[in-house]
Amino acid sequence: MPEGLAVRIEDLSITYKVSLESKRTLKNALMRASLRQESRMRTIEAVKHMTLDIPHGSVLGIVGSNGAGKSTLMRCIAGILTPTQGRVAVNGKISTLLALGVGFNPALSGRDNIILGGLASGLSKEEIESKTDEIAKFADLPDGFIDLPVRTYSSGMYGRLSFSVAVSMTPDILLLDEALSAGDAAFKEKSFERMRQLCAEARTILIVSHALATVTDLCDEAIWMHKGTMLAQGKPDKIVDEYLKFLNVGTLPSSYEDM
Amino acid sequence: MPTNQDFVSKVQVFEPHKASLPPLIPYVKEFWSRRTFAIELARFNDKAEYLGSRLGKVWLILNPLLLGIVYYVVIVIIRGGSDHNGLTRLNHLLIGLFTFYFAQSTVMAGAQSITLGGRLILNQAFPRTLLPFSCAIQAFREFLPTIPVYVLVLVVGKWIYPATQIAGISWNFLWIPFIIVCIAFTAFGLALLFATMNVYFRDTNKLLTYITRIWMYLSPILWLPSSLHGKAKLLLYVNPLGPALTANSRVWIDDTGLSRNVIVGCIFWAVTSMCVGGYFFISRERDFAIRI
Ligand SMILES: Nc1ncnc2c1ncn2[C@@H]1O[C@H](COP(=O)(O)OP(=O)(O)OP(=O)(O)O)[C@@H](O)[C@H]1O
Ligand SMILES: [Mg+2]
Repeated sequence: MPEGLAVRIEDLSITYKVSLESKRTLKNALMRASLRQESRMRTIEAVKHMTLDIPHGSVLGIVGSNGAGKSTLMRCIAGILTPTQGRVAVNGKISTLLALGVGFNPALSGRDNIILGGLASGLSKEEIESKTDEIAKFADLPDGFIDLPVRTYSSGMYGRLSFSVAVSMTPDILLLDEALSAGDAAFKEKSFERMRQLCAEARTILIVSHALATVTDLCDEAIWMHKGTMLAQGKPDKIVDEYLKFLNVGTLPSSYEDM
Repeated sequence: MPTNQDFVSKVQVFEPHKASLPPLIPYVKEFWSRRTFAIELARFNDKAEYLGSRLGKVWLILNPLLLGIVYYVVIVIIRGGSDHNGLTRLNHLLIGLFTFYFAQSTVMAGAQSITLGGRLILNQAFPRTLLPFSCAIQAFREFLPTIPVYVLVLVVGKWIYPATQIAGISWNFLWIPFIIVCIAFTAFGLALLFATMNVYFRDTNKLLTYITRIWMYLSPILWLPSSLHGKAKLLLYVNPLGPALTANSRVWIDDTGLSRNVIVGCIFWAVTSMCVGGYFFISRERDFAIRI
């Protein structure tokens, strides 16, 4: 892997296999087998032949319509999904905050969830326990909510907690998928601040967001994904501009037509 | 600007898997380095389950205890009255049930751990075996307090019926850790197998409730291992928990050591179950995230 690269994606394709049966049960499988029917499977190519290099210290924004494959790409970089084809090399410790957060036991308090979240992402018990107060302080939940069960939280409070856990891991590479959407203006400002700080420490951040202002504000590079392929790469302003035009007009710019 | 040198030790490559198993040594290392996660997950789940109710934990003991007494009454009625072996029978039943419950809840909870672990599996990369492992730990935590309850029943029983032949504490008790470890591995292996099946066939768990019930009747819990003769004795060895439960009864009730057949049976089932379950699970766990 060349010097200075955080992530290298080479000819990456990811396919989901989805069964078209209403219920995937043993009973149905046996019935099918006895009737000599093929099981009906559909493959969804969520990411197609993507190639991309992400240098250390860059903040990359990823935009694209629903179902474009953004979350799938993030999961693959995090090592959760294995590529169907191609290769992903990742250089550094990863912390993920993917859609909806980790979500442990909603009956447990925020504090307990912080500890479980830290352990799940590979911290030792001492490490996470020494950080718990700092994380709780950063999340800054209203009076005493940190010790109440997570099921009593509003979605924004939940988002705050997840974000605080993810950024506290001091990751080399931080993956954020719709992470900032639920927070209020005050927390957004605070989390922007924290992400700028992480960038200054030369960490790499990948942000998936439908809030295009987030991308233009924070990122120094952006890509536009469309139906599993990367349509364009460039300065965030330019990419967001083109993407917005596409959203308004509904057709791809003529220069992309042949892709 | 950080150089590659700072990170070079941490490069990870993700590629399509050709081999059916991932490299096992890094896998086991990763598993070991995250064992605290499984232990704490078990502890917190335990805590969450009984957060609301004071009596919660007591049910864990009361449930098998009451069930044991019900079965005992049924047996006495079927046999048409108690005999002088009544206390032995009750104790055999109780320790058998307590131990079987440990295995059963490891298998049942473990089998569901993947399909119920949705978000965790979609959003974090870690060896998936940690989830069933955490269920096994939780089952063990719930099993431990039943031992003193059993001992209490034993002591009270001996005090009421001093003539009983049932054993007190002896050197043979040193076999108990061995038996428990064998049971734990056997059950954990089966949990891995059924957890994998459950990802592909979502009704596995329903099936499992019947399987475990039949499994209990076929295990030496409601009946004594010594009541089988000739070919029927084979039943003790084709049942994955047969040898271990036989051993359990020998040590706790008869106060004898273990025969070679029983020891070999225990080890055989622990190893077989771990290998088969482990192979199925680990070779397919990289697909769990796209199938969940
Ligand atoms: N678990 C899954 N099983 C099967 N198909 C899936 C799964 N997750 C996503 N897909 C499919 O993969 C494609 C890409 O989905 P993905 O979630 O990556 O899109 P996205 O860009 O994150 O969209 P959004 O903006 O809505 O979050 C979609 O067509 C979707 O239907
Ligand atoms: Mg998404």
